[in-house]
Amino acid sequence: MPNVENWHLKRDVAYPYEGHRPARQWAIVFDLNKCIACQTCTLACKTTWTSGKGQEYMFWNNVETKPWGGFPLAWDLRILEKLGRQDWAANGEYLGKTLIEAAPPTERVLHFAPKDEDWMYPNIGEDDCGGGTLDSGAHLDSLPHDKWFFYLPRTCAHCTYPACLAACPRKAIYKRPEDGIVLIDQSRCKGYGECVRACPYKKSMYNPWTRTSEKCIGCYPAVEQGIQPQCVVNCIGKIRVMGFISPPAVARADNPVDFLVHEKQLALPYYPQLGLEPNIYYIPPIHADPQYLEQMFGPRVHEAVARYKELHKDPEAAGLLCLIGGTERIIHRFTVKAGIAVGYDEKDEEILRVPVTETPFERAAFDEKLGAVRNNNP
Amino acid sequence: MHRNSSPLGFLPTRLLLAASSALWAACGTAPTAPAPVALPTTELTELAVNVVTADLSRPDPDAAFWRDVAPGLVSLIAQPVTAPRPEITTTSSIYVQAVHDASTVAFRLQWADTELSEAGHLGEFSDAVAMEFPMVGDKLPSVMMGAKDDPVHIFHWRAQYQRDAERGKPEIKDLYPNASVDMYPMDFKDAPSGGKDDKEAFNPGIAIGNPQSYSKTGVDEIIAEGFSTSSVEEGHGAAGRGVWKDGMWSVVITRPMVIDGGSTLAVGRPNSLSFAVWQGGKDEVASRKCIHMAWLPLKVL
Repeated sequence: MPNVENWHLKRDVAYPYEGHRPARQWAIVFDLNKCIACQTCTLACKTTWTSGKGQEYMFWNNVETKPWGGFPLAWDLRILEKLGRQDWAANGEYLGKTLIEAAPPTERVLHFAPKDEDWMYPNIGEDDCGGGTLDSGAHLDSLPHDKWFFYLPRTCAHCTYPACLAACPRKAIYKRPEDGIVLIDQSRCKGYGECVRACPYKKSMYNPWTRTSEKCIGCYPAVEQGIQPQCVVNCIGKIRVMGFISPPAVARADNPVDFLVHEKQLALPYYPQLGLEPNIYYIPPIHADPQYLEQMFGPRVHEAVARYKELHKDPEAAGLLCLIGGTERIIHRFTVKAGIAVGYDEKDEEILRVPVTETPFERAAFDEKLGAVRNNNP
Repeated sequence: MHRNSSPLGFLPTRLLLAASSALWAACGTAPTAPAPVALPTTELTELAVNVVTADLSRPDPDAAFWRDVAPGLVSLIAQPVTAPRPEITTTSSIYVQAVHDASTVAFRLQWADTELSEAGHLGEFSDAVAMEFPMVGDKLPSVMMGAKDDPVHIFHWRAQYQRDAERGKPEIKDLYPNASVDMYPMDFKDAPSGGKDDKEAFNPGIAIGNPQSYSKTGVDEIIAEGFSTSSVEEGHGAAGRGVWKDGMWSVVITRPMVIDGGSTLAVGRPNSLSFAVWQGGKDEVASRKCIHMAWLPLKVL
């Protein structure tokens, strides 16, 4: 079996096919400190892509509460438990096995197979706290919090080394060379469900009406036109940005995704130890349990949390965060100069310009003309 | 050789023992001894296909003429070559009978399976059986679904497909009666363009014409040139019908003797076939199957 380079794990990993990185790689960065689980992303995706027969239960994008939530039920705990110890070296190299490396001889990928009841509770554990129970009210006056939860929005990670693709016996799953989006060929799929079993993030879903498996398509028709996916552009909290991520050696500091992941090392892949190089990246929540975060995001999470707390001192990062959510278009390059953040498209044409600090405008508390006290409504 | 037509006759001894113990416990009286049957215990070396005077146009596992045809035992093992594959052999033998009427060949295939599995629900798989035949010339292709330029012709029956034919392809409400669905796109009366194509645009597999996505009749005809290459073809009139009773599947698959562009059988001409069985209840699907590891010679008399 070939070995392929996995920079998340700082080592080569086994994969059934040779490594061919796409010309560029679709990626989303989420700031988990901002997500409020309004599920607008979920519904934007649902109404766009999964309103047909057989898709009734599907949420290609979902938001679950950690630590107790999971769609399907306990997807993460069940695969982590199967994988066993997941140790990291001090230099950031992963010492454990990946899902491909840990597969028994009879399987292509170590997996668990969800049953129908596992898909029936998309909101299980919503707003339930980790950190044990209390007899009376809590006081959350330091970081991290003793009692904590956070929301985890999830799409397909369009992995560099997808488990779904590795597991498909029909070679019906492919990764697009132009943007790294992973698709299930709906004309070749026979609904064997091997991808549903193999994807540890459980983002392949079986359609019992068409008898094929389906998954998040990264909104490729929009991406091809330079527009970000529906779940991103509809995010009312402006917590996410879609762009293209580079491997570390060729990262560009003026690329928004590279900036957040490589330059500032604020955003991390989730469950990188599974070995698939997933391409959705999370700015970790600063209030949650550090050990839990380390399990989910790896040992670099503590530095990322520390950096995020200092972010207000970084005008360039602050400028980029002002650009996120300000445009439907994919930002390929950004600049922050003299308090103004500017985003550029693929042709390097300006698509938006925002002040990093908005000019305050003060109004008198009493409106003389109307003879009324003003409130904060516009 | 004459044999009792009861499907119980093919049950492995341990299942018979379990069944008789259960009966004993339930009745509280001495169980009736099972009728003596002539179970084949030695491996079939050649499948003889005798001519019958009977209507073979509709596959019928209970047809009277099957009583007069000796069944042959064909051993199966868990597919051992390509992952994913079963960890254990779930179906160790299949009992095969075959007859023809000069234009159609009928095969009755029987195997023990403790539960009926028709798939449908998420994460469920269907019981199934398949026969494969070489496509071209006298050279036998790989028994593992053929090889490049050495295709095999497969007849694949699924309980799931038979359910489609007998009770209709299930929708979510059939599978989950308590499911709540407001409406489907283009499925409301005032939809300005709610034609069939408009509705099917929301069913990707159907919209793109994937044979897997349509209602089935029972048997798929498939051409394959090795693992991962199976392709459902336009049918040539093959049909199938199965009955599951008392822990035993009894499935009849009929196929035309001559199939242009496919596998062809002829009186007096040597041919071969092989078998695969899937137990849906054991999560078997695709390469997770039990197979016969060799070509079985077939002689049409």
